[in-house]
Amino acid sequence: MTTTALPRGRRRVGFPPPVVFVLVLVPFLIEAVGVFWPAIQGISLSFLRWNGIAPAESAGVQNYIDLASDPVFGTALRNTVIWIVLFGGISFLAGLGVALLFQSERRGVGIYRTALFLPIVFSLVVTSLIWSAFFQPSGVLNTALEGFGLGDLTRVWLGDSDTALYAVIVAALWREIGYVMVLFIAGLKGIDPAIMEAARVDGATAWQRFRHITFPQLRSVNLVVLSVLVIDSLRSFDIVWAMTRGGPYHSTELLSTYMFSTAFESRSLGYASAIAVVIFVLALAVIISYLVRALSEEKES
Amino acid sequence: MTYRPHRRIAALGAVMATAALMAGCVSTGGAAPADTSGEDTAGNLILQSRFTDAEKGGIEELVENFNALGEGTVELNSIPTSTYNSQLPTYLTGSNPPDVYTWYAGQATRDYADQGLLLDVSDVWDGMGDFPDALRTLSQTDDGTEVFVPTGYYWWGVYYFKSEFEKLGVTPPTTWDEFLAVCDQIQAQGVNPITMGLSDNAWLASAWFDYLDLRINGGDFHLALLNGDESYDSPEVREVFKAFAQTLPYIDPAVLGTTQNQAMSDFAQGKSAMYLLGAWAQPSVPEDQRDDLAFFQFPIIDPDVPIVEEAPTDGFMASAKTTKSTLAKSFLEYVASPEAQAALVKGQQGTALAANPEAEQNLDALAQQGKDMLESASQVTQFYNRDAGDAQQGPADAALTQFIADPEAVDSILAQWQSAAEKVRSAE
Repeated sequence: MTTTALPRGRRRVGFPPPVVFVLVLVPFLIEAVGVFWPAIQGISLSFLRWNGIAPAESAGVQNYIDLASDPVFGTALRNTVIWIVLFGGISFLAGLGVALLFQSERRGVGIYRTALFLPIVFSLVVTSLIWSAFFQPSGVLNTALEGFGLGDLTRVWLGDSDTALYAVIVAALWREIGYVMVLFIAGLKGIDPAIMEAARVDGATAWQRFRHITFPQLRSVNLVVLSVLVIDSLRSFDIVWAMTRGGPYHSTELLSTYMFSTAFESRSLGYASAIAVVIFVLALAVIISYLVRALSEEKES
Repeated sequence: MTYRPHRRIAALGAVMATAALMAGCVSTGGAAPADTSGEDTAGNLILQSRFTDAEKGGIEELVENFNALGEGTVELNSIPTSTYNSQLPTYLTGSNPPDVYTWYAGQATRDYADQGLLLDVSDVWDGMGDFPDALRTLSQTDDGTEVFVPTGYYWWGVYYFKSEFEKLGVTPPTTWDEFLAVCDQIQAQGVNPITMGLSDNAWLASAWFDYLDLRINGGDFHLALLNGDESYDSPEVREVFKAFAQTLPYIDPAVLGTTQNQAMSDFAQGKSAMYLLGAWAQPSVPEDQRDDLAFFQFPIIDPDVPIVEEAPTDGFMASAKTTKSTLAKSFLEYVASPEAQAALVKGQQGTALAANPEAEQNLDALAQQGKDMLESASQVTQFYNRDAGDAQQGPADAALTQFIADPEAVDSILAQWQSAAEKVRSAE
């Protein structure tokens, strides 16, 4: 056998072939124009006072100072936290729950899986139409409550500031749970049945099998699901916009809807950019803190 | 030899990067109006239109008729209203904007004219004949330059069904006390007196605010308030909210969660008896019920306050950067002509009145009533967002819907409305 490697001294350390530059540069430029540049511009816009028509004026950090004392921003921030916790948390738990329920191949299980996955097929606008009709003052929910003799519980679900946000979260969950279920089922299928069998033979209860085998084995899927959920929570906009437009009187406002209405309805592009920067920082903080935790856990194991 | 191509690629990359970055730039500076004198460039005149499907017929016919004259070709771009409204600043500030636009008269147009974005059309006005002075004022900038050509306007009224009122044994009220008595009588018979679809069209609540303020404090105060010269936190506005509070027991308690479609269907089915709406509402009433539909003038509250009515005016404006100013002006001249306006309002299903007094119109009973009502008014205003500027609509929606839900909190609501309105103004 002869070695085909070139002698050390003769290896060329120079430029890679030109085509490599093109292959790297072109996507980088597209990314720079489509993603990085607007993001940087957004940050610089947040220091301006600009309505999109008149020349922009420098505002320093005034937009951020105003944000701190803006009650609507406070509501939007609080609602966004509620949204992450409830929408994210329930999607995770319910998605995992139904995945465990429907993981094994039994007769008819496909129907249940399909039924749960179906909502994701509908466009969000259709989803919001269905749920708006459901929550209408004379809609299915109120009619059903009255039918069961629970007339006292009927409400204007989407028009009452106490219930509107939760009503929208229900609609969002209806759509998300099937998606999370599919991710978890994929993860569950990846677990070696032999381990489970061994545990069963050793007399482990169902809870013990879940606690010590299934859940730890799902670690990599959990990472994906949690990232998806955090990202989906922070970018939630369409369902709220289509169902309540952030109303009544800002009670269902999320940071994203407030940013949109500030930018395109109130025409305060600088102020809206400041809100966008807050969303960006929030997303970054959540993702980095999670990654740090996940990496340190990995190191330990 | 080996590094030459690299250098070329690097240069190419740099050029591409610069070009791309420039293209990605959002210009935050005000652009000076381009020089619009001289010959028109070749190509079609682009007309951006925000008309809904129900109204589209009129404008399509208008464009066809103009193109048949052979003076040039107009190309119609129809865009959904909500997209259009949010995109308009982008169109106008772009480097190569569309030429002509459908839009609203008054402050809504002045906001753009103040930035030098609109074409001066005073020479079009010179040849336009006898338009009412009020329409001319609505089409002018603060320094008296015309930048807008009105095509039509419409009325607002409290709509009801004649047969329904007969069944309930009530007649259209003319004064506030009569109005409240009628509401009482309707409610006693188990019918909901007033409805609104606020869950997706919160701005409809502004109609109540506008009319109550016009009837209690008059047109001058109302416009001063919307301009920012008066405060929402003033005793005058508190009076408005006192009257508004009197109507709350008669407004469907579900309005905040009711869509415009649902409210309209409740109204058509006789579940709700009255609906304060603009003339555009007529086509959404089922066809077989349209003859039964009627409206009455918003009741008079203080007989000493001169009567002011809302008459939102629609029309056209042109970009200052158009490269076809001659063709744009000749199109606008055509738009102002009696024939063109007659065709346009005909296509809008009789819910608009032509701005040109010479335009021939077959007015149905409702349109005639609307026209008489507006002509007998001492002053006309447009609508909240058109008089105050679009950006003020958000704070108004929040204040009015919150008041409907929680009338006890009126003090904090008005204080918040005032500060929100100030903030929007300071951003402008």
